[in-house]
Amino acid sequence: MMPLLEVRDLVVRFRTHDDVVHAVNGVSFTVEPGDALGLVGESGCGKSVTNLAILRLLPQPAGRIEGGSAVFDGTNLTSLPESALRRIRGRDIAMIFQDPMTSLNPVLTIDEQMVETIQAHRDIGKAGARARAMELLDMVGIPEPSQRLRGYPHQLSGGMRQRVMIAMALSLEPRVLIADEPTTALDVTIQAQVLELIEKIAREQHTAIILITHDLGVVAGRTKRVNVMYAGFVVEAAPTGELFAHPLHPYTVGLLHSIPRIDRAEGEPLIPIEGAPPDLRDKPVGCAFAPRCAWRIERCWTDTPELKDAAHDGPVRLNTDGSGEIDGRHRVACWNVPTPAEARAGRPLGRRLPRSTAGPAPAGEGESGS
Amino acid sequence: MIAPQPVEQTPPMERAVAPGGPAAAREEEPPLLEVRDLKVHFPIRQGIILERHVGDVRAVDGVSLSIRRGETLGLVGESGCGKSTTGRAIIRLYTPTSGTVVFDGVELTRLEGEPLRRMRRRMQMIFQDPYASLNPRMTAGGIVREPLDIHSIGTKAERRERVRELFEIVGLSPDLMDRYPHEFSGGQRQRIGVARALAVRPDLVVADEPISALDVSIQAQIINLLEQLQGQLQLTYLFIAHDLSVVRHISDRIAVMYLGHIVEVAGSRELHDRPVHPYTVALLSAVPVPDPEIEGRRRRIILEGDVPSPASPPSGCVFHTRCWLREDLGRPALCETAVPPLVDHTPKHSVACHFAVESERSPRTQAVLGVPNQDDPSMTKVG
Repeated sequence: MMPLLEVRDLVVRFRTHDDVVHAVNGVSFTVEPGDALGLVGESGCGKSVTNLAILRLLPQPAGRIEGGSAVFDGTNLTSLPESALRRIRGRDIAMIFQDPMTSLNPVLTIDEQMVETIQAHRDIGKAGARARAMELLDMVGIPEPSQRLRGYPHQLSGGMRQRVMIAMALSLEPRVLIADEPTTALDVTIQAQVLELIEKIAREQHTAIILITHDLGVVAGRTKRVNVMYAGFVVEAAPTGELFAHPLHPYTVGLLHSIPRIDRAEGEPLIPIEGAPPDLRDKPVGCAFAPRCAWRIERCWTDTPELKDAAHDGPVRLNTDGSGEIDGRHRVACWNVPTPAEARAGRPLGRRLPRSTAGPAPAGEGESGS
Repeated sequence: MIAPQPVEQTPPMERAVAPGGPAAAREEEPPLLEVRDLKVHFPIRQGIILERHVGDVRAVDGVSLSIRRGETLGLVGESGCGKSTTGRAIIRLYTPTSGTVVFDGVELTRLEGEPLRRMRRRMQMIFQDPYASLNPRMTAGGIVREPLDIHSIGTKAERRERVRELFEIVGLSPDLMDRYPHEFSGGQRQRIGVARALAVRPDLVVADEPISALDVSIQAQIINLLEQLQGQLQLTYLFIAHDLSVVRHISDRIAVMYLGHIVEVAGSRELHDRPVHPYTVALLSAVPVPDPEIEGRRRRIILEGDVPSPASPPSGCVFHTRCWLREDLGRPALCETAVPPLVDHTPKHSVACHFAVESERSPRTQAVLGVPNQDDPSMTKVG
């Protein structure tokens, strides 16, 4: 089956007067109909930029797609004229942003914003659009939708605003919904409400979801596959269950050991990832994670590892919901993959060559030049 | 240990009041910090020329807690619950509306001027945002030295030496002393904030969300640093955060706040293994776990609606508008009429709920804790 969305070797750079920021450095992934893909990584890893690039919403004029393609249902979005792209944005591929306050227009009522969105894409009268808006607000669990429609965004709480955003994003029954940190600005009890809602509606409308987050806990329960990103590269890609059971990339292993977990015994020591994320103004040479990696070898400083199928001991575990149509491959971009025992321990267990310290890159401590 | 607050109404419900509750605290040495019935109300004013006082935001509304020397008390709750205000009122960045704060035998709420300044030396704060809490025009060394200047500690040479030492303590190279904040990464900036807090050798450190502005991969560095410094320097922490898993990791005891009130206090293992208050149970169930198998099996209690405004908090128990247990119990009137006092549910475990026993025994609580139960259709299955 042809994937619904196929991103291939996407390269995005931001050019300013004296700098080039290497934001996305050749990212590839696919999304099938009804899929739920998680993009995980910390700030600056390129997870948001990748998705802004897909919809060509990069900040202008600095942000440019400098390579690769994003093909949606047979159409290459990267070369499509703006007018044609506009029909896809919102209708076929919708997006929910992190901060529901800044993504709603503060001087327009909820009614005006929702009716405008619906009418922009559908040949429908004002009354019809309003009825649809009301139905959507009801669907996302907003009490008294007719009253809320007349209100302004500031009259709603954060959770309610995010519900309005979800209602707007889903108003046109998109085939792909990109949710960029949809719950990061919300409290944990509200986060549970909102994630549950996105999941339920996506299931009902058979919408594919790309869930962008820094929180491994959020992707664990809500996605079928996960791509782990670091410094503009996908460093590991696997079905969700597989990724958590057998993490292969040192960065993934590091992330899993550096967060306290509510389900684990108390007082388990955290193993931090040393250093800080790299300065993206430097052209990536070798593996971007090498300066912080406990498993690095000489080669990591010079050769960029490709995302390749991992040699596997056990069978690839598929998700338990029986959907079966997901990409079951486990791929990793690493020259020196931690063993399963090391992945469990969170650190190298001494069978390796002494770790290489002489690298061409600075130690990557984030102290950018003075 | 938490002393029960004075309350007017005694609810007619049976409750397990443990023997020796408040007295047990006195068996040991007196706590370093004892907060009793702390209230911080911010006035709401209206009118331009004649400002009328039309109401109050009851940010903190009767909080009692105590911290022993060398202990870490975690204060956890969602945004707007009053946890930061509590921390700031304790070290007198806000003036409390009422209540007492006793620090090492000295009542702080009425101190002014020089005596207050002297006490402040012993209480320092680490702030959430390492980008906003460092003066961009001062060098890192200057920022760390400032508390020494303010409190006139040591000679110039001694201060310079102390700053150097502090840089090493928090894992920064002293060579970076002359750099400016923008030249540091987020994690390094937070280390500068920690060094500044430690400069005057405080006894108590109030850490207000010290890691939530940091990247995931950096957070563990700061948590480990705080833990290591506590052992090294015999620090006492009030650790304020919204993330229950982080709070549990670092704290000896945890106090859970909701809308200006502490609803439950227990040892961190006890709170995790035997949560009692319906809010704590829901909070615990909502924390995501980075393991798809567990997430698939877990039972979750999804709270309806939003946190009410602290300007007009609900009557009785402030949680009653969102309480799942109250629904299960057929909406008893007591929750709306009487404020539940924070009392010992078992020794060293205080809960402010009229129906603490029912909450603990509820099948929904048991399901959240993973106790196998018959299929309860009222639960939300996740996955």
